[in-house]
Amino acid sequence: MREERSAALAAAVLSCLVVVTAAVAPALTSARPANQIPVEEVSGDANPQRPTAEVWTAVPSVDVPLTSAPSGLPNANDTSVETLDVQAARDQRRLYVRVSWKDGTADRNVTGPREFADAVAVQLPVNTSARPPIAMGSTRTPVNVWYWSADGGTEELLAGGPGSTTAFGNATVRTTTTYDDGRWTVVLSRERRVPGPNRTSIGGEDVDVAFAAWNGSNMERSGRKSVSEWYHFPLGPGPQGPPYETILWTVAGLAIVGVALVTITAVRRT
Amino acid sequence: MSGGTSEVDLAEGVSHQVAMVMDLNKCVGCQTCTVACKTLWTEGGGREYMYWNNVETKPGEGYPRNWGESGGGWKSAEHGERSPGEIPAQGDYGRAWEFDHEAIMYDGSDEPLRPQGDPTWGPNWDEDRGAGEHPNSYYFYLPRICNHCTHPSCVEACPRKAIYKREEDGIVLIDQERCRGYRYCVEGCPYKKVYYNARTKTSEKCVFCYPRIEGSGPDGETFAPACAEECPPQLRLVGFLDDERGPIYKLVEEYEVALPLHPEYRTEPNVYYIPPFAPPQHSDAGETVDVDRIPREYLEELFGERVHRALDTIQRERERVNLGESSELMDLLTDTNPARKYRLEVFDDA
Repeated sequence: MREERSAALAAAVLSCLVVVTAAVAPALTSARPANQIPVEEVSGDANPQRPTAEVWTAVPSVDVPLTSAPSGLPNANDTSVETLDVQAARDQRRLYVRVSWKDGTADRNVTGPREFADAVAVQLPVNTSARPPIAMGSTRTPVNVWYWSADGGTEELLAGGPGSTTAFGNATVRTTTTYDDGRWTVVLSRERRVPGPNRTSIGGEDVDVAFAAWNGSNMERSGRKSVSEWYHFPLGPGPQGPPYETILWTVAGLAIVGVALVTITAVRRT
Repeated sequence: MSGGTSEVDLAEGVSHQVAMVMDLNKCVGCQTCTVACKTLWTEGGGREYMYWNNVETKPGEGYPRNWGESGGGWKSAEHGERSPGEIPAQGDYGRAWEFDHEAIMYDGSDEPLRPQGDPTWGPNWDEDRGAGEHPNSYYFYLPRICNHCTHPSCVEACPRKAIYKREEDGIVLIDQERCRGYRYCVEGCPYKKVYYNARTKTSEKCVFCYPRIEGSGPDGETFAPACAEECPPQLRLVGFLDDERGPIYKLVEEYEVALPLHPEYRTEPNVYYIPPFAPPQHSDAGETVDVDRIPREYLEELFGERVHRALDTIQRERERVNLGESSELMDLLTDTNPARKYRLEVFDDA
């Protein structure tokens, strides 16, 4: 009889622990869901377009790891940018993305046949409810690309697969840049809603985002580039972003409690 | 006209292949073709260093310097895998030379008119230097344009398909709207006949004077490319490789005396060369000895092993003419009639 009671007690304690863990663990294991880039609300008066604006010190930064893009181009695996620091903010009208990375040489001038400019790009799906193939989207799921190049160019591009990049006639992306102490910092911004087809509308729902960077002095250009996985801006109605982690923890917790209860019942009957 | 193409290797999807034969025995290195092309096509900004047509002295390092060692082309005759190649440095093309005309022509300076700065390389920098020892030194001139290859590795190299081989005549062109200046075509061309324009941020190349051969000039007349028409010794024949009644077909396909440059790159050029002859070597006493002045091994490096047969064929036909016999081959090589040298309207109704 005493054995039964202690077994039941142990099972009850275990059950309680599991339930508590399910509730608390998500908060302890990660500060935010995976691959999320938080978007801070800021005031346009704080001038977030300026890379060195004070307002950016209060915006959380995400380290985005990069790898060489898979491509059939010569020396495609020889890329050099390993990480981007990414921050995002929005005011009433615009989304600002601040990207910063290490590059020992500022390659601004392309005056010779062997010279290439440093560059960075932000990729968004045109249709935010579908996730396009990471390599420049596809014909059915095109992507918008905000492209900044150190030789003075900012372009807004549309792509439906590798090699299909086409510039919009009227770029609405604004970029501001600093190069200081071996680091590029670029703020790319655009109005969240721009009229016309094939431009990502940034607002009521989560928006996927991916990044690419090119080191000009390493002769990186085109598909020879460092790229990230898909990340997302949590702009949807849910405050936590995708609730996958919470759901999984809850399912696991309930399963363990169920097993414990079955065990207790089985022990009592013996 | 005949459209028979059974024996001619045309690129897939190309109806007729435009081609050129250059007789190197006639080239005097005057650079008139170079200037004709330069003034017609590459006078604009960013093109100062650029020669879509150049004439270089061989043996010599050429333009851009050592282009033959810069890689590119295909690894095998199956055209499955490319050799990537390299982009030449600006210094290997040479920079445009600046002259102080103002000071010397108008301000009374006593300085001689010479390039400002200190040039270290340029097109035909090693002019007439050649090789060999007196009295048996030798050199010849090699005019070069884009070869509009049957299997162009530049086309395959472009990740945007901005460079393409057009259907109607196989001319290789760069779509200036699609080009984003990645320069994989510059790497991929083993002849280094694609150039990057840093001003326009696109690559540019020889267009085989397609507006001239299309007759899109003011009078609607058809003209051969400027480099051919302007050549004082008229060493170029222009037409279609698959025009069986034209001299190009006969020289390339029948007599096999017109050969592509560096066939080992396997791009199958459509510009062909009649290899150069030179008088035999002399002894120190001035007597003729039975030794080739231009070593056959050197010509083989440039034109492949078929050069031996080509030279033997030409030699044989020359001897026939010397004996008073007739020779169609010699007639083709010495023809001066422009209507027969430039056959560009034969497929107009195709």
